[in-house]
Amino acid sequence: MATTPTTNGGASDLPMVDAQNVHKYFHHNQVLRGVSMQVRKGEVVVVIGPSGSGKTTFLRCLNHLEKITSGRIYIEGQMIGYREMPDGKLVEDSEANIARVRAEIGMVFQRFNLFAHMTALQNVMEAPIQVKHEPHDQVEAKARALLAKVGLAEKDDAYPARLSGGQQQRVAIARALAMDPKLMLFDEATSALDPELVGEVLAVMRQLADEGMTMVVVTHEMGFAREVADRVIFMDGGVIVEEGAPANIFTAPQQKRTQDFLHRIL
Amino acid sequence: MNQILAFYHHFDWGIVLPSLFKPLIIQGLIFTVLISVISQFAGTVIGLVLYFLRRSRFAPMRFFADAYIWFYRGTPLLVQILFLYLALPYLGIAVPLRNFDFFGAIGFTPELFFLDSFLAGVVALSLNEGAYMSEIVRAGIDSMDIGQMEAARSLGMTYAQGMRRIVLPQAMRVIVPPLGNEFNNMLKTTALISDISFYELLGAAKQLGNPSFRGLELLVSASIWYLVLTTVWGFIQSVIERRLGASSLDPALRNTRWWERLMGIGRGVETAPAIPGTVAGVPPVIQGDRR
Repeated sequence: MATTPTTNGGASDLPMVDAQNVHKYFHHNQVLRGVSMQVRKGEVVVVIGPSGSGKTTFLRCLNHLEKITSGRIYIEGQMIGYREMPDGKLVEDSEANIARVRAEIGMVFQRFNLFAHMTALQNVMEAPIQVKHEPHDQVEAKARALLAKVGLAEKDDAYPARLSGGQQQRVAIARALAMDPKLMLFDEATSALDPELVGEVLAVMRQLADEGMTMVVVTHEMGFAREVADRVIFMDGGVIVEEGAPANIFTAPQQKRTQDFLHRIL
Repeated sequence: MNQILAFYHHFDWGIVLPSLFKPLIIQGLIFTVLISVISQFAGTVIGLVLYFLRRSRFAPMRFFADAYIWFYRGTPLLVQILFLYLALPYLGIAVPLRNFDFFGAIGFTPELFFLDSFLAGVVALSLNEGAYMSEIVRAGIDSMDIGQMEAARSLGMTYAQGMRRIVLPQAMRVIVPPLGNEFNNMLKTTALISDISFYELLGAAKQLGNPSFRGLELLVSASIWYLVLTTVWGFIQSVIERRLGASSLDPALRNTRWWERLMGIGRGVETAPAIPGTVAGVPPVIQGDRR
């Protein structure tokens, strides 16, 4: 991919993700109560926490699939979802602008969400052609390479219904990578998989991390968090309770809530 | 029954069969198909538009769509047809057109085809069909997993792109079977237009049969044609459904035979196809958030 204008010059010093005091309500139910965090370029951040802690909601806010109620989220210095007016008020951004930022953020969903009416290859080719208007032949070559990368070169003609959960999720990762994202979001990418299929998806994620991809990963896979994460964030009750290097979080958690959570699941 | 038949002296099959191919009947047949296709097409477009109005962020648009559907589903179609027939001339729509011999120009018997009847009929059927199609479109689109649209958006597609490329093509599989039923209905509902002096199939049959006191025979002739139309359509519909279901794993959707379709006993034709992630019976509503 050609270098994007935002990566020129001083922009490269900016954090990939800069979330500032993010609040989120669903009607009267407050799900996020002031979440602030930064993700450096090339960093792998794993978010853990009990269900209902707001970790998935927070991840979905990062590409504006959920609208935040207050706070700010910058992706490489560019605010997502909103424009700041001269008087400091935030106005929701135009659909085209939001789509443009999203095109640079890959997302992998718990339930895969492959396009059911398209083959694996068509799934991977869809966005580069429709969104970036890249030439068909070039996109097809890239898509085949990506399917090979996730170990599914021979499944190019298969519809999602013919693929196992693990295979579907790997196609979904290839689909996201086809847009040459600068940031990848993983929303419990292995939670809907049969236990014996979890490994093949984690292996692909691990490979991505090794290649230097910036990743925010919401997961229940503590082994993955321990081995792959540069930093682990523990969320509970809509706030970040504790964060740090995986060794510290898993062996010497400081907060009682973190200790209780790790006690329950390890 | 005997008394009725006695009035006609005898029921004469010798009139029924030759009447099938009388020019006026054939012309009526062509018009029945023409009106059905136009009205179903326009009604489907109106139904789509109504769906998006109902999902609009702007309250007046939602209100308009709801009021439209409430009105068209709440009044008799025959009343709507008669109303438009009487109202169109006031709008000045049909009167200038009537002087243009459209039907004569394409080889029909002009004095028996009134353009204002034709217009009133097509417009009334289309508007009415739109109200019903919007419900079918809604059922189809809302039965899609919301995750499909979210995945499209996460890749940088807009709402319109996601609809056009991802959601609508899949919703078609759910929409087509009831759409086919609507068209089957439409083929027969056009008969109402005979009440505003238009000589579609039934109008032509009445025109030929009533003056000669052979109404019963001509009604049977018309019925034979209606049966031919719906049978042929049932065949076409099952072919379309099988094509659409080609990538589906649900055998019920793929293997609906044309005669099952016709008899309404096809397995699974009214249920949602097996699209992974779709919760059967609980259509997830596409939320108001259109970003």
